[in-house]
Amino acid sequence: MSGSANIGVHVDHETQEDPQLLAEFQAKIDAGQLIEVDDWMPAAYRKGMLMMAEHHANSEIIGALPEGEWITRAPSLKRKLALTAKVQDEVGHGQMLYRVSQDLGKSRDAMLRDLITGKTKYHNCFNYPAPTWGDIAMIQWLIDGAAIMNQKTLADGGYGPYVRTMRRINMEEAFHFKSGEDMVLTLMSGTPRQKKIAQDAFDRWWGPSLMFFGPPDKPNARQLPPMRWRMKTVTNDELRQRFVDRFVPAAIDLGLKINVVEKDENGLVTASRPDDKVAFNKQTGHWEFTQPDWDEFFRVIRGNGPCNAKRLALRRLSYEQGHWVRQAILNGSTSLPPAA
Amino acid sequence: MPDLPEHLRKPLVNLLLAAADDKLFLGHRNSEWTGLGPILEEDIAFSSLAQDDMAHAAALYELAGSIDGRSADELAFGRTPEQYRCAAIVEVPDEFDWATAIVRRFFCNHFDLLRLTRFSQSAWKPLSDLARRLVAEQQVHVRHVDDWMVRLGAGTPESHRRMQKAIDAISPLATELFEPLDELKSLVDAGLYPGSDFAMYDQWREAVAHVLGQSHLTVHFEIGSPEDRGGRRGVHTQYLGPMLDEMCEVYRLEPKAAW
Repeated sequence: MSGSANIGVHVDHETQEDPQLLAEFQAKIDAGQLIEVDDWMPAAYRKGMLMMAEHHANSEIIGALPEGEWITRAPSLKRKLALTAKVQDEVGHGQMLYRVSQDLGKSRDAMLRDLITGKTKYHNCFNYPAPTWGDIAMIQWLIDGAAIMNQKTLADGGYGPYVRTMRRINMEEAFHFKSGEDMVLTLMSGTPRQKKIAQDAFDRWWGPSLMFFGPPDKPNARQLPPMRWRMKTVTNDELRQRFVDRFVPAAIDLGLKINVVEKDENGLVTASRPDDKVAFNKQTGHWEFTQPDWDEFFRVIRGNGPCNAKRLALRRLSYEQGHWVRQAILNGSTSLPPAA
Repeated sequence: MPDLPEHLRKPLVNLLLAAADDKLFLGHRNSEWTGLGPILEEDIAFSSLAQDDMAHAAALYELAGSIDGRSADELAFGRTPEQYRCAAIVEVPDEFDWATAIVRRFFCNHFDLLRLTRFSQSAWKPLSDLARRLVAEQQVHVRHVDDWMVRLGAGTPESHRRMQKAIDAISPLATELFEPLDELKSLVDAGLYPGSDFAMYDQWREAVAHVLGQSHLTVHFEIGSPEDRGGRRGVHTQYLGPMLDEMCEVYRLEPKAAW
């Protein structure tokens, strides 16, 4: 699901790269050639790509948690199988992306440890709760829809291993999105109670979906390393607008209302009103909308969201519970005393 | 045998439900590990096994439903606890312990392979056709779990200790897989479920003992008395009710609705 890696790349200007190598590197990027793992690359690029792939990998395996909670509660055999397969896919994406990251120089164990100790981050949207089956439908429709939009542009990037992984992931995400669309459609074609479940979940997820693409861009986004080096190819705000243009009319078609909401500390909606900015602007050709609460975004990203502690605690439990198994696989021997 | 004789319908549904319920809850319990497995690669593999089991259950429910008219979802989600026919071993939680999860799967997978093989020889063609396909997948399950038994049983002293502990805790439930179903003899006699439970028990013990030997693990089975009523006759552990409440939480909101 998940996978936006909208993270800043810090360039260490103390590192003096060889100007000629740097120029050749930039020329390759500008010519649309892919950078491969054994190619020369600036230290900041390696560090940035690692951060990006690692953040993306972390997001996949943390993203498995809110939906994973609902596998045991899925309301039909078909949905139960589909949801298990879907969450399994996310873990598979995590595995592929950790492999990309490992090749850039960090061990998987170090990455998993940094994740559970909070040294590295994962996508912000997984710090929100999924209290009903409707949330599972909305995650697969809105969040996976947003992820596809973002990842399609990441597949146009410049780092070969990451680009190829994105292409593969996007094929699977398309299934998730279709499944999400089907779940939302089923709820919205159902009983009044089912429609309310869908609308309530939509209200919880619309804001996090808008935030999915990261905060508003700096004015010089295109000149900064992530875009100059084709680590990303489209700005956050452009992606957000594409998402709105695609999903606002789709939501309206389905009978969903786009609301501006207030939430409590648990991420549950306490008040809502229609978003009166929502309208199609004929001059720009785009839908207008109210920006999400960016103060909330930065509060959650700093670790103070409704589910940050819960998600990390479960991930940590999994890591700790699995320790003896990994030990046995890595260090297992047949030197035990024979069976009695 | 194009049409099932009337007196065999109920026992056959019962047999299919026992197989489907075992598979459903084994898959359900194992799907709790999806996203939380000890190694990413195994997390993915274990999810596949869980999906296979739940998909096998769905196919067996379809078949049972083709006899008694209920849908697969009604059979999976719409019965009261005493109407389920699963064995106790698939009901107990594994407490997020990988050794328990693997040992449970080990005993069940070997049992399921033998049961599906008998199904594949059934005189009722819809069942034998389906079972032949499922047997092929079941063989993969058995290979996978056998490999884990050896790796962990003969792994480190700690993994060996944990595995032996799980075997000691789970094995008393394993033999309950063989609790006889009501009216099973009529199905055996009619060739719908060929073979005998006694022969199957011997084969199962032999297969299990072979792998345990390679794993430096030991087991001691005690078979219960035929008077002990368990899951096959609707007498379940304390865990089935809460597991059903969780599984049916959404379904029961609107049992007639499409989800």
